[in-house]
Amino acid sequence: MTIQPIDSTSSAKRPRLAIDGLMRTASAWRMPLTVLVLCTLPWVLPSKALAVNVLIYGTFAVGYNLLFGYTGLLSFGHAAFFGGGAYLTGMSIVHFGFAWYTALSTGILGALLLSLVMGVLSIRTRGIYFSMVTLALAQLAYYTALQASSWTGGENGLRGFTVSKIDVLSLQIDFLNPLHKYYVVLLFTALALWLVSRVLKSSFGAVIEAIRENEVRARACGYNVERTKLLSFVLSGGICGLAGGLSALHLAIVPLDTLHYHTSGLVVMMTLLGGMGSFFGPFVGALAFLVMEDVLSLWTSHWQLFVGAIFILFVLFLPKGIWGTIMGLGDR
Amino acid sequence: MSTTPLLAVENVSKRFNGFVALEGISATFGGNRVTAVIGPNGAGKSTFFNVLSGAIRPSTGRILFEGRDLTAVPQHEFAHYGIARSYQITTIFPQLSVHENVRVSGQAFRSRYNIWCNRDLDRALIDKADAALLAVGLHGKRDRIAKFLSHGEQRALEIAIALVADPKLLLLDEPTAGMGPEETRDMVALIERLAAARTILLVEHKMKMILGLSDRVLVLHHGRLIADGTPAEIQSDSEVRRIYLGQSHGAA
Amino acid sequence: MDLQLIAMQLLSGAVLGAVLVMTALGFTIIFGMLGVVNFAHGALFMVGAYAGVAVAMQTGSFWWALLVAPIAVGAIGLLIERLLIRPLYSRPPDDPILLTFGLGYVLVEGVRIVFGNDGIPFSTPSALVGVVNLGIGYFPIYRLFVIGVVAFILLLLWLGLEKTRFGLIVRAGARDPQIMRVLGVDMRRLWFLVFGLGIGLTALGGVLAAPMRNVSPEMGTIVLAEAFVVTVIGGLGSIAGAVVAGILVGLVVSMTSLFAPEMATISMFALMALVLLIRPQGLFGRAGV
Repeated sequence: MTIQPIDSTSSAKRPRLAIDGLMRTASAWRMPLTVLVLCTLPWVLPSKALAVNVLIYGTFAVGYNLLFGYTGLLSFGHAAFFGGGAYLTGMSIVHFGFAWYTALSTGILGALLLSLVMGVLSIRTRGIYFSMVTLALAQLAYYTALQASSWTGGENGLRGFTVSKIDVLSLQIDFLNPLHKYYVVLLFTALALWLVSRVLKSSFGAVIEAIRENEVRARACGYNVERTKLLSFVLSGGICGLAGGLSALHLAIVPLDTLHYHTSGLVVMMTLLGGMGSFFGPFVGALAFLVMEDVLSLWTSHWQLFVGAIFILFVLFLPKGIWGTIMGLGDR
Repeated sequence: MSTTPLLAVENVSKRFNGFVALEGISATFGGNRVTAVIGPNGAGKSTFFNVLSGAIRPSTGRILFEGRDLTAVPQHEFAHYGIARSYQITTIFPQLSVHENVRVSGQAFRSRYNIWCNRDLDRALIDKADAALLAVGLHGKRDRIAKFLSHGEQRALEIAIALVADPKLLLLDEPTAGMGPEETRDMVALIERLAAARTILLVEHKMKMILGLSDRVLVLHHGRLIADGTPAEIQSDSEVRRIYLGQSHGAA
Repeated sequence: MDLQLIAMQLLSGAVLGAVLVMTALGFTIIFGMLGVVNFAHGALFMVGAYAGVAVAMQTGSFWWALLVAPIAVGAIGLLIERLLIRPLYSRPPDDPILLTFGLGYVLVEGVRIVFGNDGIPFSTPSALVGVVNLGIGYFPIYRLFVIGVVAFILLLLWLGLEKTRFGLIVRAGARDPQIMRVLGVDMRRLWFLVFGLGIGLTALGGVLAAPMRNVSPEMGTIVLAEAFVVTVIGGLGSIAGAVVAGILVGLVVSMTSLFAPEMATISMFALMALVLLIRPQGLFGRAGV
């Protein structure tokens, strides 16, 4: 076909701004840059434990964002994967005496399976029902853990699996030292970030974005929308399971609340506050949320009132979140 | 036609809870011709298009494409057989760039679940998307975000999205809906160019456009196919005249 | 197993079902008419219960609580619609979910500030204390009273929706808001009123539940989940769907607790999973879009 383009200005190149180039470079190097920033975190934040929490919840939120921000599915049931990963990691050590790495793998595998089951059930429903179904299915996980107390410790949570040493090859790392712990967790966080970054750059990443943008069009283009959503759901669930497993190793206890609706809500808030649909956003959100909690809870026990109010203001006026808004300043 | 037609619709009916939307439609299409489907509002045109694109399964009857029965095939596979469509309400990916809109559409035939291969590595696909944009006259805006295009440009983009798949059958649902005279003229020219290499079915309300553009016209009324012929034959068909003159709207 | 025991359990299942219907009713109306998934439903239910406690403490009368609390919380509902929900009608359908989720946080914490973290005992009104012999066994009078109230409310809603002009417009608007706008009906005013009505009914559910559940800031979470289960199983976002689904869930939970009490709460969610597996669109929902 040799057809003249109707628009005569077509070949005129738009002048590129210097900041544009800078952003491109930053975007291309986003993985190493992130890891570099994260390496300094324990010295910037008020406590090492807080820094470890930022890594764990950052991983949780980044995994969640794959589904919420990039596939456009608002799940209110991700506590099931975070908590499922945490419980299975802990239970593997308590009941089977697994080594930490086998336990963590079991946790991830369990979260993958759990997300496959929950995904199959929830993705079959029509649009707006999805949030309700995921929440209700996560409640099923919560009550199951509550009742199966001989396995899970019930209301008291799962206890008795302190991991004090981590062996990597012939290296023995003291896991009770908060700084060592931080860098071990960072290794897994970096792995998760790399995986998500990989997914977003890939052809599959293009497909989930297309489905988020317009499901009808994606289907007409030839994509199996349900199967793509399910794959994204399972990937997201697996990463959140990793975050949960790390949280179990970090705290040496799995509170029942890990599976609670509030944990699902927490990751929704972190992701939205930071900026859904952007790579760094959820991590920024987790950091902002945890620091906010740290500061506010010193001052009042009712800090959740402020968190809720801030969240409402973000939904109304800054739906792109902190990071998304900063990034958006460069555009037009 | 003695050979297998591109698309054969065999005695297709569709009922929704007792309401008959389509009743016993049979027709064949092919030969790179442009066929317009017309009829008053509620005649079943949209249902007909939805059946042809797999969005709705017929209650009875069959859809054969190149001799293969597509009646029970899921909607997303229709594109893989070579059927692409546009919608009456613009259906694009609003927050992706114009080029990415078309590229991701073409990607459905190459890589759907691969997380290891980068989306920007398939040079051939990128060029193909550029060619489709060139064909609809949008290449100059390839890096714009789709939602910032004008209405007419968005309609053209939707056609590029359908075009990148090299469909054998292109279904256009009111391609000029909401367009001014100038945009309509551009769109008609575009459809004429596209018709050179593929079979096109379109739903339209603008009579003048239909008569000038199509080789054949189907008239639906209350879900039935009441006339099927050249534009000249349709114009002189007494029943069609009765329906359209009886109702003032739709025949402008 | 004793037949009489089973009959008794079936009856208490039906009663539990009625309570569940009341729990989900306000949510269902707002979801069905406005398409808004109100994640603050549980929190507003809890606020309703606390408002009931407050009124009952002030006036010393349960009956005043039953009347005043729903009206007061319904008024708050009107305010919420006007200030928070209305700006979101033109936004993606997930935005009201996110906003009401945040609102739930604020409400729970607000109640904690005013009433404290611990639960408040709420005694059954003296006129409704005790049990009554139904032939197959003894039954708490209060539960029978709740069935009566639920039946009365459902009758009022049915009359209001089927027999009045307002109801006609509401039903037509739920089906096709575009057409209604063309006809010159002010949908925003309608949604405003329906939202207030839904929140008022939610609060009424809270007051009625107060003597049966532990009134605490946390009570809303399970209420929210129950409303979702009932809505998903019903699948229509309609009052009729909620009634049938609510009673079905009540029966299943009640029968499960007869055989395996520890599985009672789980059975409700398991039933939902089963329905999703067999009929993803819910019992009364239509397949497709």
